[in-house]
This record gives sequence, structure tokens and C-alpha cells, in this order.
Amino acid sequence: MSEALLDIQDLHLEFDTFDGVAKVLAGVNLTLERGDVLGLVGETGCGKSMTALAIPRLISMPPGRITNGQILFNGEDLLQRPTGSMQQFRARHLGMIFQDPTTNLNPLFTIREQLVDAVLYQQANVKSVPGRWRGFLPSARQMRKEAQSRAIELMGLVGIPDAELRINDYPHQFSGGMRQRVLIAMALAGEPDLLIADEPTTALDVTIQAQILRLIRSLVHQLGLTVLLITHNLGVVANTCDKVAVMYSGRVIEQAPVRDLFHQPAHPYTQGLIRAVPSGSTSRGGLQGIPGLIPNLIDPPQGCRFHPRCPQVLEHCASQVPGPGAIGSDHLAFCHLYPEGA
Amino acid sequence: MNLRLYLARRFLMLAPLLLGLSLLTFTISRLVPGDPVGLAAGPQASVEIQEALRKQFGLDQPLPIQYLSYMRGVLQGDWGRSLYTRRDVTEALSVFFPATLELTLAAVLLATALGVPAGVISAMYRNQFPDHVARVISLFFVSFPAFWLAMIMQTVLGRYAGLVPIGRRFPVIMSPPPQVTGLYLVDSLLALDFAAFSIALNHILVPALVLSFGALASITRITRASMIEILERDFVRSARAIGIPERVVIGKYVLRNAFIATLTVISLNFGWLMAGAILIETIFDWPGIGLYAVHASLSLDFQPIMGITIVYGVLFSLVNILTDVAYGILDPRIRYG
Repeated sequence: MSEALLDIQDLHLEFDTFDGVAKVLAGVNLTLERGDVLGLVGETGCGKSMTALAIPRLISMPPGRITNGQILFNGEDLLQRPTGSMQQFRARHLGMIFQDPTTNLNPLFTIREQLVDAVLYQQANVKSVPGRWRGFLPSARQMRKEAQSRAIELMGLVGIPDAELRINDYPHQFSGGMRQRVLIAMALAGEPDLLIADEPTTALDVTIQAQILRLIRSLVHQLGLTVLLITHNLGVVANTCDKVAVMYSGRVIEQAPVRDLFHQPAHPYTQGLIRAVPSGSTSRGGLQGIPGLIPNLIDPPQGCRFHPRCPQVLEHCASQVPGPGAIGSDHLAFCHLYPEGA
Repeated sequence: MNLRLYLARRFLMLAPLLLGLSLLTFTISRLVPGDPVGLAAGPQASVEIQEALRKQFGLDQPLPIQYLSYMRGVLQGDWGRSLYTRRDVTEALSVFFPATLELTLAAVLLATALGVPAGVISAMYRNQFPDHVARVISLFFVSFPAFWLAMIMQTVLGRYAGLVPIGRRFPVIMSPPPQVTGLYLVDSLLALDFAAFSIALNHILVPALVLSFGALASITRITRASMIEILERDFVRSARAIGIPERVVIGKYVLRNAFIATLTVISLNFGWLMAGAILIETIFDWPGIGLYAVHASLSLDFQPIMGITIVYGVLFSLVNILTDVAYGILDPRIRYG
């Protein structure tokens, strides 16, 4: 096993709300090795996006609070870093894209302005980028000009045709898929080690979705990216990822290579999830759900949070949080059916 | 649609607007009870003198004829005369109006220059110490009546501290910079007379500051609210996520978005400040349009009233057009049309 690029250990995140403390993440364990494309799946509200936002420390605190855990990036705990240096970390090591490409681009600035800024501020010597007022100096103009050719190059890389012309357009002159490509280009400007994609295709229609996923795949090969892809769509995971982690109510409950997960799902929740995917032969009314509701995060079930809905519930499921149990190579399940360390 | 075409259309639309405004003002100033001629001629004047005055000002004609001949005069540059002082309205306006415009512009600039940064800081430190300070200061100054505050500042800064003159635009014993725009600050710079500039600045500082307080408070508040709203937008998180420094995120990406709302408030305030200037002018002995306007309307001196109304109307429309053009510059999605 090579050294992990990203290793999240026992991450706990809470939010103060008017109704009490919401325990949004309750011990997330997640490992990404360099070159991995890992899909993080789970239903709405299970903490996928919160995990994604916690890595670059983009969760506002307060009301958020990390009570326990480590986020190791190349062996360094990001939670120990001074807040002021996080911007630099994000610029150099991280790219991030989000769900809705329409709202994630600034409507008042041209693609040129936003992309050139992304290129400039993600350079290694960020300090030398002139501030706003010195931006009119000839040297600064030269800098922006150089950054612009890099920006056009990036637009070509993510498959935007006529980049030299389109760079002058505003976001509203782009289609949804093209906007997401722009955002990917912005995220990649600093040649990041890790790309976090938080539901990058949810707001796009199916054909565009396939194009964007294909683009991400090809970038992985070209640039040697490591990707954390967050989605609720198991189809996306099957087509795009090498590995997959399943989350349920603030915990990762299973992590496995894609093939293993679909063929031998170990955790009862994963089994239910895969059964719930409609196939071509699913008849009307034949959709299979998992009985019960997602737990309340303010007063979650003790022990394994899935136990009230679990068809194979054991006696100690209600009292003890299950640890990792090995199913196969690289295949872990957090379930009492698979005893720890086995 | 391009900007030039848009501007041409807006200026064409100005004509019917001003026609309506003049008609309305004309009608109202003639229909109010009271006889301007009787007031102007004085209680001892004989009927013959009154009739002569009436004839001289064309008041013996039917109202529509009066209006038409007035409008013909306006188009030819003759805006009539005061019933009392017999001073030409155009001449009086060219003296008084720039003074008021200068005071108002200075107040708007001050309010913007202080209010926008205060609003930005408030939004960045929402519900923390700097936010409370900005809130208390703006509330403090807006809570006092402007005339009271004006007198206090005049007394403290002018009389006791001796930092600024107590009133007027320029020392009586000195001649103001040669008139180009009528704005002393601009004219003195055009004449490269920096001594005159600093004197004019010294005179305008306190009156403009007092006048700006109301606008300052609303600009600060709207900037804060707007910044807070924009800070929640997805593109802000996106920019932070890829490592754009916070100063760029706030100062460039967020502020430009937030400034659209601020711009609306600034342009609205401009109109209010023009009206509010009258009080401040009285206290600081500022030779603006305020006293002229008050005097004219109290004595039903209709031709100055008409003149002032038209000038205010034109100015307010211009500010509106400018604001709309600025929206289009700030936000490319806004199409002129």
C-alpha cells in the first residue's frame, strides 16, 4: 500500500442549531491514495458535502465545530494548520468544483478575469501578485498577459472550443456544461494534487453529465490527478470511479474498489442501496426502498446509526459503534456482522 | 442595443417629462390662492400700479397664453425675472445653483467614501466589534436632527477649535476662482490655484459632512446587508476553494456585486440631499439655491419657482440616467433598452 494522499481519521463535526447540536459527522474515516478516483456516495444529508468542505476548511466556525479527528494530507494534519495559511494550501494543492455551474461563476466578471485570477493566485509565489491598486502597473499587465495564455491553454485542456474568443465572454453567455468546464479549468489552474468534485453533474442534463465525467476521467490520466467525487448517483460511481466509499448519517460505513462494492456489497445499508437502483426490468411500482427514514442528526441512534432500519440487526448494534472489518483487499465495512480486525 | 442609442432615447424621453413637470408646476403655482402681484407691489400700491405690474409680467393674458409664452422664453434662454428683485432667473440660478450642486456632490462623495468601506468592514466582521462600532456611529449621527448637529459642529469646530470657517463658501474679501463650472473646488483646480482649492475645501468640509450623515447611514447599512447577502453566494465559496486570497474575494468579487444595491441608494440619496441642503445652507450661510427657493415659494414668485423646479427636474433625471448607465457597466447582464 503506497502512502495515502488524503487520510481522514475519525472526523467529528458538529453544528450549533436552534434545536440543539447537530452531529453532522460522527467519525468519518476515508483514505485516498495518489491517483485514486474515489466516489463518495450516500443519500441527502448523510454528510458527503460536509466532508468535502471540511478538507479545505471551508466550513464556517462558528456555527460549525470540529470536535475530533484528523485530516492528513501528505501526512500533515490540515486541522493543525494556522487559518491564515489555508488559502495558500488551497491554491497550491487543491481544486474544487461544485454542483451548480451557474451560481459558482461570478456573473459580473468575464471568464478571462476569473480564469486569469485563478492562474495568478495559484502560482507558487502568490506574494508577488500585485494587489488591486498596483494592478495598473506595466509589470502587472505583463503578468496578466502571461497568465492569460495559460488560461487559454487551460480552456483548451477542458475542451472549450474557440478559447481565444470565448475567454472574453461572460458566464451567462456560456451553456451549463461549458460553465462547468470553465470551473474545472479554474480548479486545475494551479496543478492541484487533489480535485474535490461535489456533485459536479447533478445540475446538468444526462448527455452533458456524461461529457463532464468523461472529461474528469481523461484529466486523471493526463495530469495524474487524485479525485474525490461526491455524488448520490451510483451510476456515476460505476462509470467513473475506481473506489467508492458509502456514507450513512455522518459516517463512512463501507469503502471498497468499485467492482467489489457492486458485486459483493457487505454492509446491509449498501446492499439496500444497490437493490434500490431501478434497472431496465424494474416494473412500475416495483422500486425497492430501504424501510424507515434517515436519522435525526440532533438525536441520532446510539451505536450503529443504521441499526433501527437494519434487516440483520444484532444485539450490540444499538450500543456499540462498529469498527472497520476487512472483507477483502482494500474492502472495509463498518458493521458488527464483520468483526473488527478480522 | 448600444449605449449611444440608449442615451439618445433616454434624453429624448426627457423632453415630455420636463414638459409635464413644467405644466404641473405652472398650474400649481398659478392656482394657489394669493395674488403674487399684490404681494410684490406692497400694501400701499394703487390699483393702477398693480395693473401696470400685471401687464408687465403678462399676467393679464389667459393662462394657456401665459404658459406658452413662458415656455417660448425658456427655450430661447429667457427664464423670466423675479417679481421682487427683478433679477433674471437664469442669472440668479447660474450663481446659486452651482453652490448647491457643489455642496450636494461633496456630501454624496463623502457619504460614499466613508459609507462603503464602513459597510464592507461591518459585513466582514458581522456582529463583531467593528460591526458594532460602525452601527453605533451611523445610528448616532443619523439620530440627531441635522440642523442641531450643524450648529454644534459649527460652534465646536469653527468657533472654539478654529479649525474651519464658520460659514460661507469663500472668504468675502477674496475673489473666488474664475468661474468655469461654478464649483469652486473644480474651478480652482482648473485654474491650478491650489491655495484657493484648500480654502474652498476648508469651507465645504463641515457643511458637506453634516449633510452627508443621513446618506452615510443608509449607504453603510445597505452596503453591509448587500455584502452579507453576496458573501453567501456559491461563487464566493468557489473562489475561496481554489485559493483566491480573501482580499481579492471581498474587494473585487463580492464588492462589485454588492455595489449595485449601494448605487441605487446613492442615487436616491442625491435627490434627498439636494432638498436637505436648504437647511444646511441656511445655517452655514452657504450662498446656494436654498434661500432663493424658500423666498420664491413663500412669496409666490412664480418664475423663479418654475426655474428652480426645471433645474432640479433636469438634474434628477440626469442622475437617474447616469445610474442606469452605471448599472449596465457594473452588470453585463443588464441590457440597455
